[in-house]
Amino acid sequence: MDERIVHFIAALRAGGVRISLAESADALRAVDQLGVMNRDVFRYTLRTTLIKDSRDLPIFEELFPWFFGVQTPPPMQNLPEDLSPAEAQMLARALRQLTDRLRSLLERLLSGQPLSREELDQLSQMAGMDRADDMRHREWMAQRMQRLLGFKEVREAIQKLAQMLQQLGMNRQRIEQIRQLLQANAQALRDQIDQYAGQRIAENMSQKDPGDEQDNLMHRPFQALSDSDIHKLRQEVQRLATILRTRIALRQKRAKSGLLDAKATIRQNLKHGNVPFQVKHRDHDLKPKLVAVCDLSTSMRYCSELMLTFLSALQSQISKTHAFAFINHLEYISPDFAGNDPSKAVEQVLDRMPSGHYNTDLGKSLKQLVDSHLDLIDHRTTLIIVGDGRNNYKDPRLDLFSLLTRRCRRTIWLNPEPPSLWGTGDSDMLQYAPGCDHIFQVSNLAELNAAIDHLLSQA
Amino acid sequence: MSETITFASPSELKTALNQQQYIASDEIATIMFLSQQLGKPLLTEGPAGVGKTELAKAIAGATRRELIRLQCYEGLDETKALYEWEYAKQLLYTQLLRDKLQETFAGATSLSEAADRLANEEEVFFSMRFLLQRPLLKAILSKEPTVLLIDEIDRADAEFEAFLLEVLSDFQVSVPELGTLTAVHRPLVILTSNNTRELSEALKRRCLYLFINYPSIEQELAVVRMKAPELSPKLALQAVELVQSLRTMDLRKSPSISETIDWAKALVAINAKNLDQHVLETTLSVLLKHENDLQRARRTLLRPSQGNDFDDLSNFRRIDRQN
Repeated sequence: MDERIVHFIAALRAGGVRISLAESADALRAVDQLGVMNRDVFRYTLRTTLIKDSRDLPIFEELFPWFFGVQTPPPMQNLPEDLSPAEAQMLARALRQLTDRLRSLLERLLSGQPLSREELDQLSQMAGMDRADDMRHREWMAQRMQRLLGFKEVREAIQKLAQMLQQLGMNRQRIEQIRQLLQANAQALRDQIDQYAGQRIAENMSQKDPGDEQDNLMHRPFQALSDSDIHKLRQEVQRLATILRTRIALRQKRAKSGLLDAKATIRQNLKHGNVPFQVKHRDHDLKPKLVAVCDLSTSMRYCSELMLTFLSALQSQISKTHAFAFINHLEYISPDFAGNDPSKAVEQVLDRMPSGHYNTDLGKSLKQLVDSHLDLIDHRTTLIIVGDGRNNYKDPRLDLFSLLTRRCRRTIWLNPEPPSLWGTGDSDMLQYAPGCDHIFQVSNLAELNAAIDHLLSQA
Repeated sequence: MSETITFASPSELKTALNQQQYIASDEIATIMFLSQQLGKPLLTEGPAGVGKTELAKAIAGATRRELIRLQCYEGLDETKALYEWEYAKQLLYTQLLRDKLQETFAGATSLSEAADRLANEEEVFFSMRFLLQRPLLKAILSKEPTVLLIDEIDRADAEFEAFLLEVLSDFQVSVPELGTLTAVHRPLVILTSNNTRELSEALKRRCLYLFINYPSIEQELAVVRMKAPELSPKLALQAVELVQSLRTMDLRKSPSISETIDWAKALVAINAKNLDQHVLETTLSVLLKHENDLQRARRTLLRPSQGNDFDDLSNFRRIDRQN
C-alpha cells in the first residue's frame, strides 16, 4: 500500500502539485494512524497531509480514484445458456460470414470475457500510450485503443449479425436478447478500457521525471510558449513570487538588528540617568514600495498576460504595490488584483482593455499618472515600467518622464525587446533609457527572475 | 478545571464537537483527529465566516482545554506574540531594592569586585517574574494542555510567519537571558487564514491543511436549527435556501454562515411568519453589508413577487398605450 501511495504522490507532483519529502512522510504516518479501511477517511487523510493549497484540490480529486479506485473490471453478461443447439449453430454460421477481426471481437462480446492485463498492455502500446502523461489525453487515448479493437465497426456488425440471424430464421425475441447482450458487453468493455487508460496515464505520471521541463521553460522566450506552457509558467511565476517574499523577509530581519543608534539611545535613556536600559538600533524600514506601469498594447500582447500575472504576484507579496496598465490611456488595475484569483484578475484586465491598432500612447499615460497619482511616487518608490517603448511616433513626453524619475527612488524598465531593436521604427526606448537606473531585457522567465532579484536586493 | 480529553476515533470527536454546538463534517472530524494524533498544527483556510475560528473554540470546549488566542495583524511582532521584558517593573524593583543592593556592595574593595557581586544577583532581574507572557509563550508554558488559536495568519507579515516556524515545529522558544523554554504539553494549534495572501510553503509544510467551504443546504440548515431553535423549520429552510441562492450571485461579499445565523436570529426577534417583501426589506441588511450588494439582491429577490402581483395590471397599461 505504501508503494501505491508513493506512486500517487509522484503522480501528483507530475500534475504540478509541490509535495515535499516531509509531507509525504506525514501522509504515511497519518495513514498508519487511521488505516485504509474507510475509503473516505483515507482520502481525507491523504488530502490534508499532501495538499496545502485549495487550487491543487481538483488535481487530487481527479487522480485519487485512478490510484485507489475500484479496480475490478466492469461485470459482463454471459450468453443465455438456454440457447438451443439449432440456435447456437445459426449464430456460429452468421458469425462465420463476418471478417476475422470483427468475428473475434463479437465472439469475445458474446462470451462476456473482459480484456486481460496483457491484452490491455499490448493495446496501449499500439495506441502509443507509453508516453502519455497528461490526464487531458485520457479520452483520446481510450478512443484510440477502442479503434484498434475494432469498436468503430461494432455497431454495424451487431446490426448485420441480427439481420443474418433473422434470415437464418431465429426467432425475433432471441435476436433482440442477443443484440442487447452484445451492446451491454460492448459498453462494459469500453468502460474497462477507459478505466485502464486513466490508470495507465496516472502510472506514467508517477514515473515521470519531474523538473526536466521547468529549466527548459525558464529559458524559452515568451513568444514561443504554448497555452499549456503558459499555464505552467503562471505557476512558476507564483512560486517565484513566494521565493521573493522569503528573501524580503530575510532582508528585513537583517536590517532590524542593524547598527547601534547612539543618538536615539541617549535620548531614550535620559530619564534613567543615561543608564542604557533601552538600546536603540537604527532600523531600516525601507520596505519596498512599488509603482508599476504595464504596457498592454498589441506589440506587447504576447507577454502581457505573464507580465500581469507577475504584477499581481508582486502585489500579493509587497503590500505597497500600485499597478497601472495602459494602451492609449492609463488604468489603475490594483483593485482587480486585490483578493482575486490571479488568473481571473488577469483575464478581467485583459478583457477590459482590448488592444487596438496603433493606439499605444505612453506620453498621454504618463501625463495621467502625473496628474492624478503623483502622490504615490516619492523618495521611497521604485517605479517599474514594463513595455517596449514603442509609442507610434507620438510625443514621448520626456519632460514628464524625467519628472517621475527624479521624484522616485529608482526607475526600472523591463523591456522584452533586445537592445539592438531599441530606437528602430517607432521605438523611443533610447530616449527613455538615460532616465532609467536599470533596464532589463526580459524575454524569458529566467531573465525576469534575475531582474526581480536585483530589484529587491537593492530596494 | 477537570481532566482534558483525548479522543480515540474521529467519530467520537465528531459527537463531542456536536455537543459543543458545532456541526462538523466527517472531513473536519477526521482531520482534527489526525492533528491531535500527529501533534501537528492545523491550517484552516476558506472564505470569511464559515466557522474556522468557531472550530477552534469548539475543540477547546470539547477537549476541555483552555483556548489561547493570538489575533494576527500587520505589524505584529515577537514582543506582542511571544514575550517582553517588563522594563518598568524591573526599574521599580531596582529603585526599591536600592538599599539591599548597597548592602551587597558594602565591603567591596574594588570596583570589579562590586561588579562581580552584582553579576551574581543578575538572575533576580531576568527571571520569569519580569517576563510578560504573550499568547505563544503562554501556550508553551501552560501547565494544563491548551488549544492555541492563531487567527488570520495571512494578516501578519511574512517575517512573523517565518518566526512562527520555530515555535510550531518544536514548540520551544529561546529567550537569551533564560535559555530555551520547551513546552510542557504540546498545545493543539489551529491556524486560520482567509487567503488574502499566499502563505509560505515552509509554514504549510508543517501544518495539516483543511479547506472549509460554504456548507451545503443540509449542513447549513442543521447549523441554523441548532443556533436558532426558535425559528420554525419551514422558515429556516426558506431562509437557508435564500442565502444559498445569494451565494451564487456575483456579490462583493457573499453572506457567511455567521451572517445566516444572525439573520435567523433577527427573523426570530421580529417574529416573522414568512419571508415576505416587508420582512426582506427590513432584514436583508443583516446578510449583506455592501450597498451595491443590497440593491442588487433587492432587485433580483423582490422583482418576481412584484411581477406576480402587478403583472396583469402592467400588461393592461401597455395595451392601453399601444391603442
